[in-house]
Amino acid sequence: MARDVTIPVDVGPAEIAQERKAPTPAQRDVVFDIDGLTVSYGSTTAISRVDLDVYRNLITAVIGPSGCGKSTFIRCLNRMNDLVPGARIDGQVLYRGQDLYADGVDPVEVRRRIGMVFQRANPFPKSIYDNVAWGPRVLGMKKDLDGRIERALTDAALWDEVKDRLKKSALSLSGGQQQRLCIARAIAIEPEVLLLDEPASALDPIATSAIEDLMHELKKEYTLVIVTHNMQQAARVADLTAFFSLEVGESKRTGVLVEYDTTDKIFTNPSDQRTEDYVTGRFG
Amino acid sequence: MRTTFQDELALLEATLQEEGALVLRALRGAINALEQRDEELADEVIAFDDDVDERYVRIEEGIQLLLARQTPVATDLRLVLAILHINLHLERMADYCVTIAKLSKLVPEVDPGPRFVEGFEEMGSRCEEMIRIALDSFGNRDLEGAESLVDLDELVDRANRRVVARILELGGDPEMREYGLRMVVVSRALERIGDHAVDIGEQTAYLLAAEFREFTDASHPSPREA
Ligand SMILES: Nc1ncnc2c1ncn2[C@@H]1O[C@H](COP(=O)(O)OP(=O)(O)OP(=O)(O)O)[C@@H](O)[C@H]1O
Ligand SMILES: [Mg+2]
Repeated sequence: MARDVTIPVDVGPAEIAQERKAPTPAQRDVVFDIDGLTVSYGSTTAISRVDLDVYRNLITAVIGPSGCGKSTFIRCLNRMNDLVPGARIDGQVLYRGQDLYADGVDPVEVRRRIGMVFQRANPFPKSIYDNVAWGPRVLGMKKDLDGRIERALTDAALWDEVKDRLKKSALSLSGGQQQRLCIARAIAIEPEVLLLDEPASALDPIATSAIEDLMHELKKEYTLVIVTHNMQQAARVADLTAFFSLEVGESKRTGVLVEYDTTDKIFTNPSDQRTEDYVTGRFG
Repeated sequence: MRTTFQDELALLEATLQEEGALVLRALRGAINALEQRDEELADEVIAFDDDVDERYVRIEEGIQLLLARQTPVATDLRLVLAILHINLHLERMADYCVTIAKLSKLVPEVDPGPRFVEGFEEMGSRCEEMIRIALDSFGNRDLEGAESLVDLDELVDRANRRVVARILELGGDPEMREYGLRMVVVSRALERIGDHAVDIGEQTAYLLAAEFREFTDASHPSPREA
């Protein structure tokens, strides 16, 4: 029954608790500065006037009811919406001070620096090795490819499970392993930010917990933004949580950012009644 | 394996043990202040309570966040609830130490004889032992240790009764009576500290056996106490 308490002897619990705390606003380093972001598909406005900052080496979760524009929002952060016909983006997304939508910005370069992992693991029908090697090869990162692939798989907490079968098809992996493979694929090209859209929604609790542990590891090196349907997942992993909701007008439903704060605050004492109703399950 | 959650739980438990160590220091300080009529030491004990309270609040807040964010279940849930209760027991103990320290400053200049000092020393060191056992048996998940607290508490209760009997023999001199009144409260505070140590043992048993039961029940005294 006795568990080892893994507290080093030279620091007390107070110091450790302090280290664990999400940094105060003054200590945060802005990666994305989003201002008045509005996205429409044809005549429907998916999200309206979103203002939000994303901070370095923190996990930011985006939660909210289905259709409130979570995926729409996160796709704006690496110009994935460019690929959606009829999508129109207004407002500003600054990435490290640079306007992502300014003339002359290359969306491919944007996506290299800001990687994305999708809800359904989508490995190519190729070997495990080739899946991870694909990005680096395309980008001409040929030096020490084997080492790069091992590092990516190790960082994605998959190496031990696949190191003996790198030439086997990626489709032979379990759902949770495929999802971690996609994370490995995303980090193999050393992005600065990882966007994850419902990365665990197709996974069982054990695979989900592995992905969540992995996110905690990854945030040491990357900035993470995660969309999740699962409120408890946001509560468990995120430093900051953004709650989006649907504002219902005459015949129109538009996604708006209702509240954005530390996850501690959102889940113990949210400021907005709509957030309270959502996190307590009284709505949605 | 939900590492973050396990780390946070371990951190809360470490903070609780730290709070326990502070309570032990407060108790020793209060007893010494009383025995040696050391007002400065008494003031230190009173001020020291802020340190205990700081841990208390930190644990309360930590548990609130853990419950809100991590949805602990099964053994984890019992551990969280046990920490929540033990935290309160420790904080109460520290309050009793403050009571003793305050009373030690109000003692009139009378000499009731060495038997009182001996009585409080006995109760104080028995309480210290109980706190140590309560904390260790919780930390080591040791049911036997936790259950042994009941018998130790019986010794504190007996010592309390002896002290009260001596107080009744102090006679009618107003200063002696004032001294006696104050010392009844001191003795009672020590006796309550022992009770809280038993309550911590009950939390350990709850954690291990998944079922809460009182070791003893004041409203249904065991034959021994009757
Ligand atoms: N490619 C698209 N073309 C047209 N409309 C779209 C497109 N993608 C999203 N929408 C619309 O934009 C709104 C927001 O959708 P979005 O997928 O961003 O929501 P979501 O919060 O991610 O929902 P879910 O939780 O169900 O994934 C919805 O009304 C949706 O129908
Ligand atoms: Mg979506």
